[in-house]
Amino acid sequence: MKNFGFSILLLTCLLTVASCEKDDICVEGNTPLMVIEFFDINNRDTPKNVTALRVVGEGQTVTVNTVADRTALNKINIPLKTIEDSTSYLLISNSADNDDDVETGNIDIVNFNFARVEDFKSRACGFIVTYEELDAVLQTDTDNWIQEIEIIRAQIINSDSTHVKIYH
Amino acid sequence: MLKYIISLSIVLGSVSLAAQSKPIDTKPKDTVVYEQSYGIRIGLDLSRLITSSLDENYTGAELVADYRLTQDLYIAAELGAEDKTQQEDLYNFNTSGSYIKVGVDRNTYANWYGEKNLIFYGGRLGFSSFSNTINNYQIFDNNRYWNPEAFATASETPEEFSGRTASWLEAVLGTKVELFPNIYLGASVRLGFLFTDANEGRFPILFVPGFNKVTWDSKFGVGYNYSISYFLPLYKKKNKIKKIAEEEKVE
Repeated sequence: MKNFGFSILLLTCLLTVASCEKDDICVEGNTPLMVIEFFDINNRDTPKNVTALRVVGEGQTVTVNTVADRTALNKINIPLKTIEDSTSYLLISNSADNDDDVETGNIDIVNFNFARVEDFKSRACGFIVTYEELDAVLQTDTDNWIQEIEIIRAQIINSDSTHVKIYH
Repeated sequence: MLKYIISLSIVLGSVSLAAQSKPIDTKPKDTVVYEQSYGIRIGLDLSRLITSSLDENYTGAELVADYRLTQDLYIAAELGAEDKTQQEDLYNFNTSGSYIKVGVDRNTYANWYGEKNLIFYGGRLGFSSFSNTINNYQIFDNNRYWNPEAFATASETPEEFSGRTASWLEAVLGTKVELFPNIYLGASVRLGFLFTDANEGRFPILFVPGFNKVTWDSKFGVGYNYSISYFLPLYKKKNKIKKIAEEEKVE
């Protein structure tokens, strides 16, 4: 009977320990954002702000929600699509509207191509996406403000460090 | 109980018949020996059957059996199959497979004369073979710029992961009570420790038939069953009691 009492105690303890779980809230991960930094084309190590930068995803009617609109910035984090292998962004410098609500800034379109890796993070999170083989293509127009795009990290697994450098 | 009254009267009757031809023994020795039934007990898990009929996303059955080895020790086993579809926040998956658990139970209940109940603890070694299917899933993404309405659906095509196996060790605490002669109602709770690494591969193991839910970052799992079973007596054996042994020594 002593044995029995002990086994009940042991089971109660183990049940208490085993019942603590974090299976309901996703804390283990998230689909990362791509980090772009802007540098001076003439002085390649110096960060350079883009005046009144506006970032709009191609096909979207609103500006990207992770970048302060029409602000001078040298670093932005932007989301890539999770179910397609490419994402295009309109990067607008000196963004402003004229009287007819038409954009007067310099619009450059950059296509980001990548391979997606689906990663099961946890029971609560399910699948997230990380990106590999990142590549950026600038659509040439008559007046590109972007001079050069350099991929620093082709793999995007977190948003801690810069993936793309844009020189202007 | 009737059985014992009959056997008691037969035994007593034979004693009195035998006594007539011999000198009257004023202190006749009690020759009635209570013999315990040994045999195999086979039953069904009621909880899995009831859950199957109530929950359309679950089908399962479990066969339970034990065989009495000694006064307190039983060899016990469970054999079952489960099919369960679960909807999580961002994915829907199915687990389907069968399992076997083999081990021992030790009865700790001191039965009164004629009682045949059990309060037991025991251990099992479990093994399950199963397959997982992800029916559909969405991609978790904090940023909703590209998908403002809902998480982007990545796949609606079922994707199967077959040939999966898992093994575990299980601690059991339970009871079996004789409701009617040889019909037992049982209940048990189980604490399992999974040996198999659940997080390997593209889709981890989140549920194991027989083991139950696999908790994230934990090797432990809990389960239970309610069984109704039939005891098939095979032979009877006298219970070894120290007191008898002492009496034999005196003789």
